[in-house]
Amino acid sequence: MKVSQIAGFLGSGKTTAVMKIVDELMKRGHRMAIVVNDVGEINVDAKFIESHGLKAKEIAGGCICCQIAGTFSETLAKLHDSYNPEIVIVEPSGVAIPWGLKRAAEYSEAKTDMVIEHAPVITLVDATRVDLLVKAVKRLVETQIREADVCFVNKVDTAPPADIAKTEQMIREINPRAEISHMSSETGLGIKYACDLIENRISPRYDEAVEEELLRKQYGGK
Amino acid sequence: MAEMSHIERVMAGLTNAKGDRLSTYPIACGVNRKLVNGGVSYRDWAHDPKLYAQAFIEGQKAFDFDFAIGLMDLSVMAGDLGAGVRFDKENTPFVEKTLVNSPEDYEKFKVPDIKKGRSHVILEGTKQFCDVLKTQVITAGFLEGPLLALSQSAGAERLFMDMFTNPSAVHKALKTMTEYDVEMVKGFGKTGCAGLCWDYLWGNYSCLGDKEYNEFEGCKKYAGDLNELTGKEGMALAIHNCADLPHLDTQITAFKPAIYSMAYYPLIPGSPSATETIEKGYCDNCLVGGQIDPQLFIRASVEKITQVTKDLCQEVKTALCKRGLGSRYIIASGCEVPPDLHTKMENIKAVVDTTKQYGIVDW
Repeated sequence: MKVSQIAGFLGSGKTTAVMKIVDELMKRGHRMAIVVNDVGEINVDAKFIESHGLKAKEIAGGCICCQIAGTFSETLAKLHDSYNPEIVIVEPSGVAIPWGLKRAAEYSEAKTDMVIEHAPVITLVDATRVDLLVKAVKRLVETQIREADVCFVNKVDTAPPADIAKTEQMIREINPRAEISHMSSETGLGIKYACDLIENRISPRYDEAVEEELLRKQYGGK
Repeated sequence: MAEMSHIERVMAGLTNAKGDRLSTYPIACGVNRKLVNGGVSYRDWAHDPKLYAQAFIEGQKAFDFDFAIGLMDLSVMAGDLGAGVRFDKENTPFVEKTLVNSPEDYEKFKVPDIKKGRSHVILEGTKQFCDVLKTQVITAGFLEGPLLALSQSAGAERLFMDMFTNPSAVHKALKTMTEYDVEMVKGFGKTGCAGLCWDYLWGNYSCLGDKEYNEFEGCKKYAGDLNELTGKEGMALAIHNCADLPHLDTQITAFKPAIYSMAYYPLIPGSPSATETIEKGYCDNCLVGGQIDPQLFIRASVEKITQVTKDLCQEVKTALCKRGLGSRYIIASGCEVPPDLHTKMENIKAVVDTTKQYGIVDW
């Protein structure tokens, strides 16, 4: 089962993008599910889900190291056993940490017979509000960009070119290894490319080997 | 040195007196429901003071901890404020419908009656387990700080944005959260618990810098007054913060808690390890607890978690010795032991038993 995280702060156009990406991937013949966080805010369109035969599950705000990790891995295991989706789109809250969700997703392997793959971690950055985001939630946005494999500058249809350039520059400074692309979740620009990434590329698993080595050095044990 | 009682051991750690060994507390709370009447559901446990209390009592019998700290979940206050909380049979309860849809909604919060709802359950349940355990171990209540209670009630993303765009509205709500916390502190003061553990989760450099944290929680009118009230109500101040980059200078150096519980994220640059925490002086005047990865209680074998605990004991003892400190550290989980049906209870026992064996301090 492939897990695809699409991150972005509140108002980044994430929900619209997720719905269009899911729609496109279903047209390509994939069995899909969505896991959302903070459902009260994100307003997943229940009719959309129903009409598309999707399975949607929720995870909720709490603490990724204990409470969310258990709930999220249980959710994925249940989705696998009941519906066996090929791709699960995870729409985490703007305060969730992508590596934490990767790790928690892999925990589900202990709960049922499946192997988790990760699609590239996608972060949407709203080019129309880049100044506001940097002022208001700089640290959270930085964390999302730092952990992304691909950053989509979203709302390029309405953002002034100078703001698009500024957004790209910010992304490059925070995460030089991230691929940068453009999206307009309203017009559909970039949606097919995002689907190509989710279909065809793999992001590394949470690296337990690296963590164990760090712990070994830290604790001096085996 | 002769074996100490649990309370003597913790008091030695708190006062930097000679203790027989490091104290220990894997933060096993919701998971202990599996020990009550052959296993009760999370939903029942979180609604019934007797079941809630009994879990801590059974946990003590099974594992022989040095502490009992009454964490239920992080949606207690939000639920009593009116947020929609989903109670699955076995998952940790969580907020599924928040209360803030516009800045005006921040002004609509009202302090609920703490004699009702889950505020009552946690207060009454804490009293009941303290009645039984307070002569055996160090007991503490557990309470969400004002910013955490508000983030649960309003939605964290929304709140973080509104802290910048509508700070006065956020402050009005934080005032109400603080008033609610004042009522709860007074309630915990009547339970007989020795300490009160605050969850000040957002004191995390991944989310807020010093200036923002100080404005929205760390300042006198919020955490400052609540910390002071905790002492006035006869409870020792404890703080839990399982963030990756905790505000240690504020939450340990400035707040001066007796006990501080923290996590460690080896892959996050700057996340403080036990050694770094001790070397930088944060244990000089505070009994710090941590930092076993909570997920090991689900995933690891007994052999692995035993090795991790053994290595942590050695690391901590070496660092404490270099710093001229004795047993001023608690071998604990960095956050709650996952209250998951798959959590291995034998791993909780392994941490305690390994600390008993390898946490002995040579004087």
